[in-house]
Amino acid sequence: MTAHLAIDLCTTELWLLADKALYWPQQQALLVADIHFGKAAAYRRLGQPVPSGTTETNLARLDALLARYPARRLIFLGDFLHAPESHAPSTLARLAAWRSRHAGLRLTLIRGNHDRRAGDPPAGLGIEVHSEPLLLGPFALQHEPAPHPTHHVLAGHLHPAHRLRGRGRQSLRLPCFCIGERVSLLPAFGDFTGTAEVDAGPGRRLFLVGDGEIWPL
Amino acid sequence: MSEATGLLSERWFARRGWQPFAFQREVWQAVAAGESGLLHASTGSGKTYAVWLGALQRFATDAAPGQPAPLAALWITPMRALAADTARALQAPLGELGLNWSVGLRTGDTDSAERARQGRRLPSVLVTTPESLTLLLTRADARQAFAGLRMLIVDEWHELLGNKRGVQLQLALARLRQWQPALIVWGLSATLGNLPHALEVLLHPGRGRLVEGRVDKPLVIDSLLPERIERFPWAGHLGLRMLPQVVAELDGAATSLVFTNTRSQAELWYQALLDARPDWAGLIALHHGSLAREVRDWVELGLKEGRLKAVVCTSSLDLGVDFLPVERVLQIGSPKGVARLLQRAGRSGHAPGRTSRVTLVPTHSLEVIEAAAAQQAVAERRIEAREAPQQPLDVLVQHLVSMALAGGFRPADLLGEVRQAWSYRQLPEGHWQWALAFVRHGGESLTAYPDYQRVEPDASGLWKVPSRRVALRHRMSIGTIVSDASLTVKFWAKSGSGRSLGSVEEGFIARLRPGDCFLFAGRLLELVRVENMTIYVNRASGRKAAVPRWNGGRMPLSSELADAVVEQLGAAGRGCFAGAEMRLVQPLLEVQRDWSALPNETTLLAEVLKSREGWHLFLYPFAGRHVHLGLASLLAWRMGRRQPVSFSIAVNDYGLELLAPTEVDWPGALGEGLFSTDDLLHDVLASLHAGELARRRFREIARIAGLVFSGYPGAQKSARQLQASSGLFFDVFRQYDPGNLLLNQAEEEVLRQELELDRLRQTLERLQQRRLDLRQVRRPTPLAFPLLVERFRESLSSEKLADRIRRMVAELDQAAGPGGYQPEPAAVPAVEREAPRARRPRARKDGRPRQKKKAPGPTPRP
Repeated sequence: MTAHLAIDLCTTELWLLADKALYWPQQQALLVADIHFGKAAAYRRLGQPVPSGTTETNLARLDALLARYPARRLIFLGDFLHAPESHAPSTLARLAAWRSRHAGLRLTLIRGNHDRRAGDPPAGLGIEVHSEPLLLGPFALQHEPAPHPTHHVLAGHLHPAHRLRGRGRQSLRLPCFCIGERVSLLPAFGDFTGTAEVDAGPGRRLFLVGDGEIWPL
Repeated sequence: MSEATGLLSERWFARRGWQPFAFQREVWQAVAAGESGLLHASTGSGKTYAVWLGALQRFATDAAPGQPAPLAALWITPMRALAADTARALQAPLGELGLNWSVGLRTGDTDSAERARQGRRLPSVLVTTPESLTLLLTRADARQAFAGLRMLIVDEWHELLGNKRGVQLQLALARLRQWQPALIVWGLSATLGNLPHALEVLLHPGRGRLVEGRVDKPLVIDSLLPERIERFPWAGHLGLRMLPQVVAELDGAATSLVFTNTRSQAELWYQALLDARPDWAGLIALHHGSLAREVRDWVELGLKEGRLKAVVCTSSLDLGVDFLPVERVLQIGSPKGVARLLQRAGRSGHAPGRTSRVTLVPTHSLEVIEAAAAQQAVAERRIEAREAPQQPLDVLVQHLVSMALAGGFRPADLLGEVRQAWSYRQLPEGHWQWALAFVRHGGESLTAYPDYQRVEPDASGLWKVPSRRVALRHRMSIGTIVSDASLTVKFWAKSGSGRSLGSVEEGFIARLRPGDCFLFAGRLLELVRVENMTIYVNRASGRKAAVPRWNGGRMPLSSELADAVVEQLGAAGRGCFAGAEMRLVQPLLEVQRDWSALPNETTLLAEVLKSREGWHLFLYPFAGRHVHLGLASLLAWRMGRRQPVSFSIAVNDYGLELLAPTEVDWPGALGEGLFSTDDLLHDVLASLHAGELARRRFREIARIAGLVFSGYPGAQKSARQLQASSGLFFDVFRQYDPGNLLLNQAEEEVLRQELELDRLRQTLERLQQRRLDLRQVRRPTPLAFPLLVERFRESLSSEKLADRIRRMVAELDQAAGPGGYQPEPAAVPAVEREAPRARRPRARKDGRPRQKKKAPGPTPRP
């Protein structure tokens, strides 16, 4: 099992995690992009039935990561809440309960395009909210993958995935990390999210996520 | 002539100098007696006036002067495009007979002024579609508006019978009959193999008369054959080679229709015809469902007036409209079914007594055999049947919300009404309760869907839609026709947008960048920009262009036609090549026989091939692509239980291919119960779960049941944030609400419609009786070749996901390293040249490939 893979980016060690998050040992920080809380709730409010459970699953996955890695800080790279309708009582209650279980954890959100429409999360969750970019060490933490003049960008927004092709006309589409020279992308963490296909290229390495492992290409 | 029927209808016919057919008189009498029924007659034989004059005779003669009579009749047509023509046809006798009736139209195209007028007072006869009828029924005053309705006519009932639009109409009919028990209902239908069923579904739970119009209409079916054929048939490849002959045929006729099976094919043929005959610019036209309304109207008018020499079209011109000047019909590619061929043939000589002629133009060598088979099947009148769907829950869920909008409903009353519709006659109480719970709070358990409600009972127990927003969304989504998100194509103009050309699916445009060219609406266009769901284009002059592919359903070859094909092959195997078609394909069939064998009525041909791509099995049951897909999934799944293996599956109407990257012992496996019908349902369901099919089928169900909303017209960009793909919904439902009946429905529909389970069972039984003729082949045979180059593929795997990833990643590594496997772009180039199979690139002794003779293909990824 390769549940995580350490890479060196800007002479900093980063761990790419098989559960679609990134761990930064030196900062003891866990980075998560595009979690889209309350997406299902937003649909329900609009009269489209979507079963609940996605929020619980996302939180349980965060719990598992926090238990496995000694993180003191959790940074959301944008799209924390999906839509204005995501401020649903059931969703917010779950988030509050989760927050109280991790009272000591420092939470940071870089606003993404969905957050700008949805509005900031309730103050009670104790999340520091920043506009992009947030400079931290050699990195510019952003939601959208626009290059930064001085810092290497870590971003989300695109929900990258890659189609792996093999002999016998086999193909598989898997979420991936996309590590570039100036901009690197995290896969979308959220359970109820789609993906966009990317390919490897010069100066762009892909690390696929599948079956609880991480696969460098 | 009887007193009762004579008068009005006879009078009008006499004025025109027409002599009524016996079937027309029979319908007049039946309507006069208050009977309902189904009229079946071939296209162009005068069905419309049979029912319409019957209706006028019974209901219009006592219309008082002054305001036209209130709504008395509804005329349901399956296509918006037909509505205007129908209205004109219905109008004709009114003036001449001095009847004070008005004719009105109500479709998705009706403008708001006309809608408002109809809101105040409906015309005496309203021509409308099933969707617009349901929408009218959601009006709060619907019952009052329809109070005077006496007769309802369903035109082209065969087009609606077998699909969910027909079910929607059944539900609307159930409501109208509730209000008006004496309502007279007539269906008009073209040729069908099971007319009594069509009658029963339409009139359920009542009965009626089946009238068959026997009009001897001379029919000619011939085919246009190339001088020589290629021995390796490649779907679509032969097509344009037939261009000179098609041009010659068109040249010799005043007006022709050229039918293609897909919109892309229509675009290509139109362009090719123009290139071949630039002088035909303005004389030939293009017609398909994605073109703008105005464009299609112009083409239809041109056809009627005889101004056009030829129109290249798709099924968009299959129905109704009388194009009297049409002399010839050409069918490019497979006709797919006998009924469809007859329907299209009927587009020519569209008047009683004139000859219909259809000419088949094969687009690959195997379709030449189909042409021979089609002629045989028509001669023997082997016509396909169509079955109405059984209790589709997505349509029911939509109907519940519609009826809640229509002034509300009480569940017990509505259940009684819904069960009057044939498709729901045996609707179980449990399903009904589930559907009620689903529209009320999403599911049976309240906790599963917090904050959700569409329909809610009020204090008096009347179920209504409380939210105006939900009501608006629902009204916009009524209907059961599902398409991908489509974007409007418009010319780019400095001051804003120019003329609209039509629409293409989002998936196609996603592959293009600004500056790329594509063929659309018969023009070469350059993409300028994409904005707000609109594609802006300029005219282009380059040569290289993409052709949009629309994801329209691909029709399977019908059993009737497939059986006829096998009979032709069987005869060929016995050395009998009857007719010009079969003599033409003789060389191809001889290659097939020499390299492998010819299939026939008593054998099942299987071919096993090892290529650099992997291990192939080709199997030829000739049961149509749907059944082949089911069969291929089943075989792959059963094989996968014996050993972990991943398959890539290709199917066509003749057979199927299973391709594995690792070795599979097909000769050993084929004998051992792989074709057994034991545990069939279980195994097919299991193979369904292992594949992608149910997920894709869920798309339609999700849209009809209101799970996916295609958006408000002209909505802001932020609205996109509230759209999600049905695939995502499918995953969420499967994970968090696996008991959801819509998931069950997706499965059932895949089983019934996509895999045709009954036909699959029959096929398996037939295959068990046949002798397996297993051939180890060294290169792809003429029958195998089209499967080999088929790009649209399903996959099914019993390997662990991690093992699959590991293998593919390892292959990439190998490909990048020295002397490794080179990914191969199918065998197309090798066989197209009809050269011997391309040899594996020779390696140097150290295993590195030679520099010069690199195999063509995509450069391996790092």
